[in-house]
Amino acid sequence: MRRTQRAWTAILLSPGLGLLLAFVVAPIALTAWISLHEWSMFTPLGDWTFVGFDNYRELADSRTFRIALRNTLLYAGLSLLAIVPLALGLGMLLFGGMGRASTALRAIVFVPYMIPTIAVAIIWGYLYSPLYGPLNQLLRIVGLPRQAWLGSVDTAMLSLVILNVWQTVGYYTVLVIAGLTQIPTVYYEAATIDGANALQRIWHVTLPLLRRTLLFVVVIAIINTVQVFEPVYVLTQGGPANATNVLSFQIYKSAFEFGLAGQASAMAFVLFLVLAAAVVVVMRLLRDPTAGSA
Amino acid sequence: MRGVPGVLVRSAAFVVVAATMLFPLFWMLASSLKTPQELQASPPVWIPAAPSLEAFAQVFEVAPFARAFLNSVTIAGGTTLGILLTSIMAGYVFAKHRFAGRDALFGVVLATMFLPPIVMLVPLFRIVEAMGLVDTYAGAMLPFLANAFGIFLMRQFIAGIPDELIESARIDGASEWTILWRIVVPLLGPAVAALAIFAFVFHWNAFLWPLTVLQSEEMHTVVLALNRLVSYTSAIRFQNVVMAGAAIAIVPNVLLFLAMQRTFIAGIASTGVKG
Repeated sequence: MRRTQRAWTAILLSPGLGLLLAFVVAPIALTAWISLHEWSMFTPLGDWTFVGFDNYRELADSRTFRIALRNTLLYAGLSLLAIVPLALGLGMLLFGGMGRASTALRAIVFVPYMIPTIAVAIIWGYLYSPLYGPLNQLLRIVGLPRQAWLGSVDTAMLSLVILNVWQTVGYYTVLVIAGLTQIPTVYYEAATIDGANALQRIWHVTLPLLRRTLLFVVVIAIINTVQVFEPVYVLTQGGPANATNVLSFQIYKSAFEFGLAGQASAMAFVLFLVLAAAVVVVMRLLRDPTAGSA
Repeated sequence: MRGVPGVLVRSAAFVVVAATMLFPLFWMLASSLKTPQELQASPPVWIPAAPSLEAFAQVFEVAPFARAFLNSVTIAGGTTLGILLTSIMAGYVFAKHRFAGRDALFGVVLATMFLPPIVMLVPLFRIVEAMGLVDTYAGAMLPFLANAFGIFLMRQFIAGIPDELIESARIDGASEWTILWRIVVPLLGPAVAALAIFAFVFHWNAFLWPLTVLQSEEMHTVVLALNRLVSYTSAIRFQNVVMAGAAIAIVPNVLLFLAMQRTFIAGIASTGVKG
């Protein structure tokens, strides 16, 4: 009985764990290992030269890499700055009721998240078109100057961020709404009895009790934004003048255009470290100070 | 905010949000029905004078969209089936089997959820290449047949099933395999549906891995075909064809979402609340 139970544990676990081992754990270890080698994408596995940390030293000296790293952080940071308050605001707006209108709006806000990012990028590329797109026309109607959007060093990154916020804010809003449903209404009632106004209730009841939800939102948003690839690939190719060149795009180019597997892997491993560091920092910052170990 | 002013502010906010979210989709649909002359007007025409479906026919002439649909359904569908199988099996063990190191192992599984594919793209491609699977359905699917999110989701829901149910089946002599598929899975209806939709939509939308591994045009997915369509037809007078292509590419996901909205949103919400 005991032994067959053990056997079933192994049998049921092995397909899932085996695949994760082969296609996630092994590749990430290989990325670290390849990053210490000089290796062309066009030579077979194992036919590489050990170079120690040379690839990393080259990265430290590379202006393009520094720009790509900075752009990646900028894109993630700007996206977070927009997504967190918007998702909170939309979550509270939609949680508050208005029955059917609320349910319908929830669906409308969420729909862009279901669409392939390539399609989103293409649609927004057209919206941003300086001559033929509607956005500059709308700006002119309200008396603002026309923008070059994706065509200018100053606005290209912001344009990509707006596109991302439009596509993903509905997803984070749903997470916030789920968090709001977990807050017992007695807390609000008690606060009201104590004379708290709406803003005070948000500040002293809603936000502290949404801590875990917000932590989750921020972590997922960091993970999603540091790997931005599609809009850059389709709309800007990293331009103009490297203004939207991000790490994932640079990794892809290094590996699949220049064939530099070692250098691409070093960049990938840096991206991995940046991501891990960011997640750890956020967990520390947002962890509930009153909670115990977890 | 109570009373009339509150309702007005709220209604105004609803309208602004809905308009902002819908406008890009409106623009896509309207533009797909425009004539080349209308597309070349500046400032742009918002509503086509004589809506034409011609661009939708052109999409299928310029890029092999029909074949791409077949490829996408195969790849996204196959990947989804694989994810369901591996997630249900592993999720059941993590929820209901006791063994040394279980929670540590589950922690490692969860950690893989946070690894972006771009970080391991190079070795992943070389592994699949060494297996001779470049430009095949198997190569497109194999690396993604198991995922931590699916295992996590299934474990969460299976943990909610009472132990007594499983224990009494064990006492009746049912094997673990029978218990899993006859007792546990039938109770997972909405959770399995939610995971199936997530997986299907995610893999329908995938770009980076298909771009890397599917090289010949007849293997392209809808998303790759759309990407190809853009590079063929970037001139403004062809934007109707590009927008028609985008509309076609998003149809399956939007329909799936509208049909299964509740399941879907409940599934997403559960990932944020528990855990």
